[in-house]
Amino acid sequence: MTTAVAAGPVEYLKTIGLTTNQSGRGFTNPYDCAFAPDGRILILNRCDTVRASLVRIGMMNWEEDYLGEFSRGYGRGDGQWILPVAIALDDQGVVYVTDEQQHRVTALDTDGNFVRQWGEKGNAAGQMNGPAGLAMNAEGVLYVVEQGNNRVQRFTTSGESLGTWGETGDGPGQFNMPWGVGLDPAGNVYVADWRNDRIQKFTADGQFIAAYGASGDGDGQLSRPSGVCVDSDGYMYVSDWGNERVQILDPDGGFVQSLRGQATLSKWAQDFMSVNPDERNTREMSNLVPELPPHLDTPYLISSQTEPYFWGPVSVRLDSEDRLFVVESNRHRIQVYQRRKG
Amino acid sequence: MSNADIALMAHLMRRAGFGASRDELEQRVARGYENVVEDLVNPGTPNAMPDDVIRRYHVDMAEMRELNSAGAYWIYRMVTTDNPLEEKMALFWHSLFATGYSKLNQARALMNQIDTFRRHSMGSFHTMLVELSRDPAMIIWLDNNDNHKDDINENYGRELLELFSMGIGNYTEDDVKECARAFTGWTLGNAEYMATRASRDSIWPYSRIAWHFQYRDHDHDDGEKTFLGHTGNFNGEDIINIIVQQEATARFVSTRLFQFFAADEVDAAGEAVIEQMMATYFASNYEIRSVLRTLFNSDYFKSEAARFARVKGPVELVVGAVRLAGTYQEPTFGADQLARYTLYMGQGIFQPPSVEGWHEGSEWIDSGALVERVNFVGKELGDPSNPGVKALIDRMSAGVERPLSAEEQVDACADLLGPMQLSSATRTSLSEFAGEQGEADLRAGTRTEADDQRIANLLRLLTATREYQLA
Repeated sequence: MTTAVAAGPVEYLKTIGLTTNQSGRGFTNPYDCAFAPDGRILILNRCDTVRASLVRIGMMNWEEDYLGEFSRGYGRGDGQWILPVAIALDDQGVVYVTDEQQHRVTALDTDGNFVRQWGEKGNAAGQMNGPAGLAMNAEGVLYVVEQGNNRVQRFTTSGESLGTWGETGDGPGQFNMPWGVGLDPAGNVYVADWRNDRIQKFTADGQFIAAYGASGDGDGQLSRPSGVCVDSDGYMYVSDWGNERVQILDPDGGFVQSLRGQATLSKWAQDFMSVNPDERNTREMSNLVPELPPHLDTPYLISSQTEPYFWGPVSVRLDSEDRLFVVESNRHRIQVYQRRKG
Repeated sequence: MSNADIALMAHLMRRAGFGASRDELEQRVARGYENVVEDLVNPGTPNAMPDDVIRRYHVDMAEMRELNSAGAYWIYRMVTTDNPLEEKMALFWHSLFATGYSKLNQARALMNQIDTFRRHSMGSFHTMLVELSRDPAMIIWLDNNDNHKDDINENYGRELLELFSMGIGNYTEDDVKECARAFTGWTLGNAEYMATRASRDSIWPYSRIAWHFQYRDHDHDDGEKTFLGHTGNFNGEDIINIIVQQEATARFVSTRLFQFFAADEVDAAGEAVIEQMMATYFASNYEIRSVLRTLFNSDYFKSEAARFARVKGPVELVVGAVRLAGTYQEPTFGADQLARYTLYMGQGIFQPPSVEGWHEGSEWIDSGALVERVNFVGKELGDPSNPGVKALIDRMSAGVERPLSAEEQVDACADLLGPMQLSSATRTSLSEFAGEQGEADLRAGTRTEADDQRIANLLRLLTATREYQLA
């Protein structure tokens, strides 16, 4: 693939979301997002153990209006989730969700009605082990990344297995606890090969094409990548989870840009600050990007202290306008960026 | 390899660690007692459960917002580390420098404090006290963020002397004030915002912001101070220099280590060991590693009288049972319950009852706590499908040529769980139970799940004995 478009830098647009301990407006350990044709942004809230009952998909729009939420609740019943990881939306308005604890895919409509579910723990066709990343191509084929089986499995939207590829290892086409998956416009499949610190690219039916990245924290290097998405020019956006950053690679895997995060107050966060003057006033006199002592020198610890930086970037997704959504589980928000073309 | 050697090594590993399987005990005995002490006080790579797999599976342990998630995260490390004394020492310092979640609302800061305790666990006590004084969780816990040049707050200065280094009776009220003056300006970054968030338990807008130390020179009282007979323009480190030189400090630290590792009560023989530890403290330039070496190699520690002379603390009981059962070796659904169990038993991690820490020894045991202790350990060791339990039964079955009688089952279980010396009354009761269950046929080819369950049932019952509840 050639680079028809010069690599332009990505610029920050804004932050959406707000921590919440209850249902309704706000995010609770967001894990993935998807975009409906009508402009709705769907946010999957995985939730922690204390707030497990709040597991849900929240809906909002680009203007940050809260548009409701839906789920079948926490549990093992039909359509219920325990540890959801990723979502995909089909052109019928059906939302598919992987659940790594229940080893299954669940389908609901956006009113929260149960449509279907499939899968059980195992390594046979149709079974799954730790399903994580999820993506749907233009033909409606679902790609499910199985961290426990170190493979990718394709399904029809009705849950029929179309085959698998991959095995345990670090060679081409092998995986070590893979997580996210993204597709390019041509239908090629990109897998965040989490514990191999690389992105692997495959044809739509699983033929190995290339691998990008190596272990490390330098330009173009990766540490435990959690997600990957690809824009219309073939540029790859990788949530470099272990490095708490986003790496942007050109279509040949060359380094383009690294983002560390620069979150600002979302509309909902501004609303909170406007009615909590004690916090607003002391916040305004604070330095939220502080110098840290040497023992707090890992990306994770730095992010835990530095609010604008990415902390727990678990997913990257592009909307129809090539806006990049970086979902941060530990900060309960999404930072949005856009690539300037030309 | 004698039974006496195994029993002595089991004693060391119960105290300096969380117990050990028979296979591990045999390996360590082959290495030699004093070499094992050196291994323990000079920890290498921990090989604990990898942080990335924990944080991927447990979203709460990644964010580290919840009290019990933080506690369970630490328990994972205690369960899987190859350096048990390092974790035991971190637990010791957490007990001594007891800092609680309730005022902080900051589990990440508490985990960072534990990391500091681990990093300096067996090094210089001087360094430990300096790092403790710079620890943001401690600063908020004892109000040093409110200790200002023109308006001192004595809380940290007082506890540093009373609870963390010398003990009451070894300093004056004036020393407390001068100590507090020396620590003015020792605060945390963005102190006003962080204190506001802590007091409001705020998670908004984007969850907790962890804490770091900051020294504010403009808020430090640089005037002359007189502390324990020394005069100068002391800052906090100068005060700690004076503290660590005190005999009272040597006695305080040695006694607390003795009580944590050797015996709940100090008798005359124990007093002699403490004197030796104090001498080592000064000779080693306040190095905790050297003080521990003196303790573990003392005749007192190795004596029969020192064995089973301490009540297992809830955390060491839970961790010991899980390590022996071989469970929680990878991220496990519901693992945060482990932290809750220690709370039900009276030792909630990051939840000391006060800055004085927990009341240990026999106070660990009351009727409610004992039921929790027995139920938890019984559940772990009473399940023959748990890998450590299966390994224990496998070992018991090696080479057996006939079904085991009731008494043989009891003796084998007591041996592999300790070795434990059962009272005759306990042995008789257990034998009666085993007799009602029937013979356990562990011979290859005839061994069944029912045989394994009989042994596991006996293990479950053994964990309820007085002998098992002691370390």
